[in-house]
Amino acid sequence: MIILKYLLLIFVMATAYLAITFEEELISIIFLSIFSIILTTLYLIHNAPDVALAEAVIGAGLNTAIFMTVISQVREGKDSIFREDD
Amino acid sequence: MINNFVFVVLFLLGFYAILVKKNLIKMVIGLNIMEGSIFFWFITLTDRGKMIPIVNGTQVASQLNDPVPQALILTGIVIGASTSAFLLTLIIELDKFTSSTNPDQIGGMIED
Amino acid sequence: MSKTKHIFAVLILSLLGITLLVSLSKLPNQFEYANSIYHHVVNNSITETGSLNFVTAILYDYRAYDSLGESTIIFGAVSGIVLLLSRKTLPVSSHGLSFIVKRTFGMLTPFIFLFGIYIITHGHLSPGGGFQGGVILGAISIIFSIVYGSEFDYKRYSPTTKTLLETSGALLFIGLGFMGILLGGNFLMNLNILNAEVGSLLSAGSIPFINIGIGFKIGAGLAIIFYSMIQKTFKEEVDL
Repeated sequence: MIILKYLLLIFVMATAYLAITFEEELISIIFLSIFSIILTTLYLIHNAPDVALAEAVIGAGLNTAIFMTVISQVREGKDSIFREDD
Repeated sequence: MINNFVFVVLFLLGFYAILVKKNLIKMVIGLNIMEGSIFFWFITLTDRGKMIPIVNGTQVASQLNDPVPQALILTGIVIGASTSAFLLTLIIELDKFTSSTNPDQIGGMIED
Repeated sequence: MSKTKHIFAVLILSLLGITLLVSLSKLPNQFEYANSIYHHVVNNSITETGSLNFVTAILYDYRAYDSLGESTIIFGAVSGIVLLLSRKTLPVSSHGLSFIVKRTFGMLTPFIFLFGIYIITHGHLSPGGGFQGGVILGAISIIFSIVYGSEFDYKRYSPTTKTLLETSGALLFIGLGFMGILLGGNFLMNLNILNAEVGSLLSAGSIPFINIGIGFKIGAGLAIIFYSMIQKTFKEEVDL
């Protein structure tokens, strides 16, 4: 259990770093979703099942859907998905 | 100790995104990461290493974790989702009028 | 310009990080207070509320006023989003995904609905409650929009229905609160009318009914948020 916890702590920092450093928003949102799922597991390890259920449903499910909607609305009418001038 | 370190790293990553990034959506992502770090820190700080606070009649009170911080964090997660949805709506409106999600460009357009 | 700003940001962040690490290392490991609310909740919660899940007992009985404020915040967010995104065309839309995905999701929908209802109604016996189950119910509407296209969602589960569900959930919550005053107690008192045995589905007084009200309110509210966001926007010709 302790090894699993340390692994998850490393993963949670790595996914947060990747979610911030990627320029493409879609990849960032996927990593934010993975960040929420790892946080869910950490809450479960720390004996908080109610918080884990809320984080799984809201953080990993609903937030991702809302972010995706915003991406599709913001990119409407723009030519390419990947910008060249990065 | 390690939990405090992870909390500080996550909080600084989110704060870095809000300070430096030139994209409003990335700033909201940073805000979400800051929220998650604070919830994680609060849950781990008040974890007594005992059983989950749901009983079936056989546990005694001294074996249970503290349910009060968990209720607070549950409230916080739902409110965080609604505030980030509202922020993203504002971003959609800004993009409709200025065709940009760069805060510097948007600021320049509104000043002129 | 950008370089100095970056250096300045890193300087601020490192100062903040050092301050946080130093001050957090001075915290005690365990918080044990003599007169903590923890002892009262853990020792007396079952006899006072009848709920086996102590988190639910706090959320919907001891601090139910907080949950009312939280529902008000969600209502404010929904109102603001609908107000901001109101000048839009009718839902346009996509015809959804392929035939296989549509049939598969058609078979899965009743089970997802059942799971949401289970999470809501068993909130006082197992992990869950109105907030989590409500979001699962709202997710059904989101998957309808994605899989079947938003026109299907508009016809089957129209905005009027969603508004009606949200309002009735809020009215159920506030009505249970005022029922406490009518029966001679205070606002949001736990009404133990049914006197069911602790551990059964209808136990814990008014907590399951508050769960149902909050579940429908949250689910319909989040479905309204998603529905407002997927509408096509007018590209208005505005010169700023």
